[in-house]
Amino acid sequence: MSPGGSRVTAWILGGAGALAALVAWTLLSYALASGGGVINRLPDPLTVARELVRYAGGDLVRDLLFSLRVFALGWLLGATCATLAGLALGRVAVLGSTFLPIVEAIRPVSSIAWVPLSIVWFGFGLTSKVFLVALAVFLVVIVYAVDGSRRVPADLARTATMLGMNGWQRFRSLILPGTLAEVLIGSRVSLMAGWGTVIVAELVAADFGLGAHLIAVEQSYNVPAVIATMICFGLTGYLMNAGFSVLERALMPWRRDDVGALR
Amino acid sequence: MISARPIVRRALLPIVGIALAVAAWEATVLGYQLPAIVLPSPKAVVTALRELLVTRAFWRDVGVSLYEFIAGYLLGALGGIAVGVLMGEWRVFRMMATPVVESLRFVVPFAWIPLTILWFGTAFTGKILLVAYAVFFVMVVSTTRAIAQVEPTLSRVGTMLGMGRWRLALQVHLRAAAPTIASAARAAAAIGWIAVVAAEYVGASAGLGLMITNAASSLATPVVIAGMIVIGAIGAGVSALIGWLSRARLDYR
Repeated sequence: MSPGGSRVTAWILGGAGALAALVAWTLLSYALASGGGVINRLPDPLTVARELVRYAGGDLVRDLLFSLRVFALGWLLGATCATLAGLALGRVAVLGSTFLPIVEAIRPVSSIAWVPLSIVWFGFGLTSKVFLVALAVFLVVIVYAVDGSRRVPADLARTATMLGMNGWQRFRSLILPGTLAEVLIGSRVSLMAGWGTVIVAELVAADFGLGAHLIAVEQSYNVPAVIATMICFGLTGYLMNAGFSVLERALMPWRRDDVGALR
Repeated sequence: MISARPIVRRALLPIVGIALAVAAWEATVLGYQLPAIVLPSPKAVVTALRELLVTRAFWRDVGVSLYEFIAGYLLGALGGIAVGVLMGEWRVFRMMATPVVESLRFVVPFAWIPLTILWFGTAFTGKILLVAYAVFFVMVVSTTRAIAQVEPTLSRVGTMLGMGRWRLALQVHLRAAAPTIASAARAAAAIGWIAVVAAEYVGASAGLGLMITNAASSLATPVVIAGMIVIGAIGAGVSALIGWLSRARLDYR
């Protein structure tokens, strides 16, 4: 897409931009160190980096694994339910027009708004968080699943008729792959919604996990540790997104252009 | 028959669906003898909602949440569009800003909640900045992309008419990109609204998020569900309003 020369320029300028941001942060931290203003304390990048290394050598792996387990369980549950429901609502017209309005009515109530109710229902443990993440993922993926199950390309449908496919063959080789492809895209879109829900759920109902750690260091006014934990959240989100893009490209090579355009 | 079917499908079946859902809800409550703490009956939720709507505290909570949302949204959307236009028009700036934008984009707004509480306490400022942050990145990314995708012919026509670089940017590119920006503004509103609610869970002195967490910890589940309905309705209302505004103002496509 871009020739080699402009890629080098992008790296240099990007590096300069990142460096400028770090310098601005450092200067700001010294300017605010003498107190005053609303912002109580802003640690400089080095202090945060030191805190990050300390956390990485300590409980980071345990907290991260706990959060990721919540996320993976909820995400699998939500995506599976959304695929099944999407196929049913998308392909069976009566079910679709009966129940899709309900889905549409629930969708504006973000999964975040369910946090207090979920705590009342499932307590502070794993179940309530898995439920919330599953809900967040479901509400995103269902749209893609319904869409994918309905949008069978006309020429493929004609080919299937010409080949004399029966209902089951049509479903297996035409509708299901189309739906799963859309579900995969929806799953990536829902990554951030699901990950955000993990954060809020752990902030509110904290026992273990990155969010629980974030609240713990906040309550001990440890600003460097708060920022270090935020960086962990950002990095994990970034890695999940990057990993999923690779997966998407490997599973659906014909979609390459679409994926590229989305980024 | 052909004329009757769409009416059945569009009007009757959704009503059947909602009736079925409410009936299933009611049946679950009655069948398992669930206490109202676990799952109140639909009637109890309606009663709770009706009682909420006449209390002054409720309207204060709505007002606080809406104020935080609107102030943060305007700040974030205007800032985001401005930076997005700069990034779309000025290649050097785009290359410099991309790594910073991309890395901050993945630190979801919710992760900032504890820091905003440390910095600003339970004051409005923290929530306003949080909403602005959430909205800002959605708008920067989509404005940059929308400007990059403007039909090159339009730029050539503008140049031919003797427009300068920044006049071209503001009068041609920004206008051509406006419909895309408007749909991003709608998506950003949903994210911003929910960021307010989430921030109020963790630290606030008033607001809808605080209202439903308080109701949850005093096990007033009907009030929790009523609050969720209000939160959803406001979210949907804001989104519909922005959609309507952009359709009304940007119909030249």
